[in-house]
Amino acid sequence: MSRDDTSPAKTEVPYGTLDLLILKTLDTMGTMHGYSIARRIEQVAEGLVRLSQGSIYPALIRLEQQGWISTRWGVSETNRKVKFYALTRAGAKQLQVEVTNWENANALVARFLEAKS
Amino acid sequence: MSPRRAFHRLLALVRFGRHERELNGEIQAHLELAERDLRASGLSPAEARDVARRQFGGITQMQDVHRDSRGLRWAENAIKDARYGLASLTRDPLFALVAIGVLALGIGANAAMFSLVDALFLKPLPFPNPERIVRVWEAPSPTSVNSATPADFLAMQERNTTFDALSAETLTSATVTIAGEPTRLEGRLVSATHFQVFGLQPFLGRAFVAGEDQPGASPVVVLSHAAWRNQFGADPRVLDRELLLDGVPHQVVGILPPGSFDRDVARPGDGPAAFWKPLVFTPRQLDASEHWLNPVGRLRPGVTIDQAQADMLRVRAGLADVIPAWKKDWSFRVEPFDARLIDDTLRQSIAIAAIAVVLVLLIACANIANLLLAKGATRAKEMAVRSALGASRGRLVAQLLTECLVLCALGGLAGVLVARVLMDAAVPLLPASLPFTSEIALDWRVLGVAAAIALAVSLVIGLLPSLRTPPDSLTSALNTASRGSARGTERLSRAIVVSEVAVSLVLICGALLLFRSLHNLQQVDIGVRVDRVVTASIDLPLAAYPDAERAAAFYAALAERVGSVPGVERVGLSQDVPLGGAGGENLRVPGREGQMLVGFKRVDAGYFETLDIPVLAGRGLRPEDREGAPRVIVINQELSRQLASRYDVTNPVGAKVTLASPHYDGGTGRVEDLIVGVIQDERISRDLRSARQPAAYVSLAQIPQRQIKLIVRVADLAHVMPGVREAVRQLDPQLALARIETMEQIKTRSLAGATQPTWLIGAFALVAALLAALGLYGILSHTVSQRRQEIAIRVALGAGPSRVLGDVLRRAIVVIGIGLTIGTVGALSLARVLRSLLFNVSPLDPIAFASAALVMAAIGLLAAWIPAARATRVDAMTAMRTDT
Repeated sequence: MSRDDTSPAKTEVPYGTLDLLILKTLDTMGTMHGYSIARRIEQVAEGLVRLSQGSIYPALIRLEQQGWISTRWGVSETNRKVKFYALTRAGAKQLQVEVTNWENANALVARFLEAKS
Repeated sequence: MSPRRAFHRLLALVRFGRHERELNGEIQAHLELAERDLRASGLSPAEARDVARRQFGGITQMQDVHRDSRGLRWAENAIKDARYGLASLTRDPLFALVAIGVLALGIGANAAMFSLVDALFLKPLPFPNPERIVRVWEAPSPTSVNSATPADFLAMQERNTTFDALSAETLTSATVTIAGEPTRLEGRLVSATHFQVFGLQPFLGRAFVAGEDQPGASPVVVLSHAAWRNQFGADPRVLDRELLLDGVPHQVVGILPPGSFDRDVARPGDGPAAFWKPLVFTPRQLDASEHWLNPVGRLRPGVTIDQAQADMLRVRAGLADVIPAWKKDWSFRVEPFDARLIDDTLRQSIAIAAIAVVLVLLIACANIANLLLAKGATRAKEMAVRSALGASRGRLVAQLLTECLVLCALGGLAGVLVARVLMDAAVPLLPASLPFTSEIALDWRVLGVAAAIALAVSLVIGLLPSLRTPPDSLTSALNTASRGSARGTERLSRAIVVSEVAVSLVLICGALLLFRSLHNLQQVDIGVRVDRVVTASIDLPLAAYPDAERAAAFYAALAERVGSVPGVERVGLSQDVPLGGAGGENLRVPGREGQMLVGFKRVDAGYFETLDIPVLAGRGLRPEDREGAPRVIVINQELSRQLASRYDVTNPVGAKVTLASPHYDGGTGRVEDLIVGVIQDERISRDLRSARQPAAYVSLAQIPQRQIKLIVRVADLAHVMPGVREAVRQLDPQLALARIETMEQIKTRSLAGATQPTWLIGAFALVAALLAALGLYGILSHTVSQRRQEIAIRVALGAGPSRVLGDVLRRAIVVIGIGLTIGTVGALSLARVLRSLLFNVSPLDPIAFASAALVMAAIGLLAAWIPAARATRVDAMTAMRTDT
């Protein structure tokens, strides 16, 4: 874990993709609590992104209210009562949707970047 | 936003606390885990804590974003502000009580007034498709209407193409024996299709069927719901019974539904219609030219009133060859049923009362706004600090508005209670003047209006303090002395009180004008004795008194018997009481062109004496003027005057005129009459403002009538009626005395249309003046307490108490003076609204205006006295030491 997280090369999480990252994380890793999700995102990003870890919580409650993730109470490694999040079936579908959207957006931008004149 | 999300957001409002706790828990857990991991990677506990926090990001910011994500921010803010507002009210209970009380009065009075306006003007009539119900009149001129003759009505009914049903209606009454007692009930004669016109389904039994209004049908009757309840104990078996109406058995076939026709009163003082009978025309009635039917009809679906009007004009054109010459220029007119339900005077009175009550509400709001301004001045610092901490101006305004909303919501709730009390108190007093179709109730519409008023008031009061320019910077706001109010506030407060004084003055002017008018009306000479005179109504049933002789004999016997009752001084009989209207007939002078419409009143020999009506020339009527004797009439002074001016008849006594006069059993004839006397005018019309009416009095014995009034002058009102009743009962036990009233009561009733609105507006004006005085007291009080230091210094420098008093009073006088000036200008321009309600008073009457100004000035100075006196008692030493 690098102490130096103010490197100018790092960028913020692109707007709107935090949901996708969280859903994908849960899809891959199964049920996790908030800290684990944040750490996992940081690990996969390999330092490419500067994530305020706390910022996942507003995203989590949003996803929960949409019905894409479900919560249950459990106990953390430090013996504290904490929420565990899991992907729902609707969430899995939404993940597909978001992935498709992301790929389409990518392809569109790529086409424009390649277009000559 | 998906509905699921919306639902959760709403839920978050009530789960606010839980969400907060859970989030805090998660944050703690997260930081613990992060610290644990960091320690494991080699950091010291202190460093681990720092890095963990840094990696987490801003906690409070995240919590704020979390709240935005999960809930409805504006709703949460509103709830928070409302709680804060409620708390601040409980911290200052005196202010809260005064403010809520004033609001309750203002909102409650307006809600009550709205319920009246709603019942009279806004709510549709309680019939299905009421806009299709119309009245059809004969119209002598484009601006007047008249009842119809049977022949004309039948033509309308048979030849129209635009009506589903057309029915004729006329008044009737009958004596019904209920539980052994003969009782006079009012009723209506109607066509068989009458209830179809109104779309009424009977509550019990049936309505009339076709053919029941033809000769030979067996007698049937329908009762109103109220009559069924009150007279017959709501007994459903009454449908199997026969009812004796004037001795004739009638089958009760139906009961009307409750509400629609329970209060149908033909004239003030009449009872409500209790029964309906089919109208059967006699052959004589069909040929005669008396106008006594009021047709009412229901238009066919899709037909407009204009189309029906054109249809009726067509029908009339088709009657051209049978219409008598003198009616050639008449027409038929179709009007909406409710066009004449409320007369103009009542309409105007209510409109003015409604305006007055709105003005009272405005003054009440102004007072509360001032109170809040004063409170607001002490919160300027709080607002400055919050603004500096990042609250947007919109947020601050929203908070102030919400607190106002809490205050106004409480005021509105209390106002509903006030409205309930006002309506309960007022409703028993009103119905006499209100049409039977109006139902005054505290229903959802009224509650909705009360809520809307509370909302509007809170917006006005809440936004007013925001009109003050906020201080330029935090430091300047913090630097003003804690109890100081900005100059701007003071000016705004004073402007508000000036407007209160002005509006109050307008109301007081209006009230005084109305009182003067009422006084003038009360002074109108009725021309008859009002003291210790009792009247009663007697109906002679046709079966028992089939001809004129029987009736005349009854009159003579009645007058004699009642006259001998101990305590009775004089007896008279008449077709109508004074102020009770009269018939109208055409009078012609033989040998001269043209004719005059004169009032026509049948009276007996004792009438003039009983009522102290002086005979100015010739003689009054005598017992000798009966059937067989030469026909004589007595005319009133106004008729004498008009005969002189139009026909040069200078000495009417001894002149002969021809007067159309009705026969006992219907029909009219023309008779030559000899004028034998002239009496001083008595007031015939109930409307005291109307001009003098020419009238001819004929002998009741010569032209008897079945419905008469017994007029008795007594020594003592309280004890004589049983004796009179007994005398009548001895003559004919089947007769019932109805509508027993004293002349005092009759006169009071005729004034009621002016008395009630006048006192009402007077009450409003008083409330307004008191509120304005309260406002003046408030700002002066505030000014004095704000300037205690200044006053103390001046006292210390030698200013005497009278000087201090004078200063405060001068301030008050300026405010009152400006208010009076503006108010007078306003009153001058608005007073013409009252013109049609005023009797013998100009809307610009200087006495009323001057008195109003004096009253307001006096009240204002009185209100100013208390704070002024307090100012003189400011203790210089303590005032200069303290800061507040």
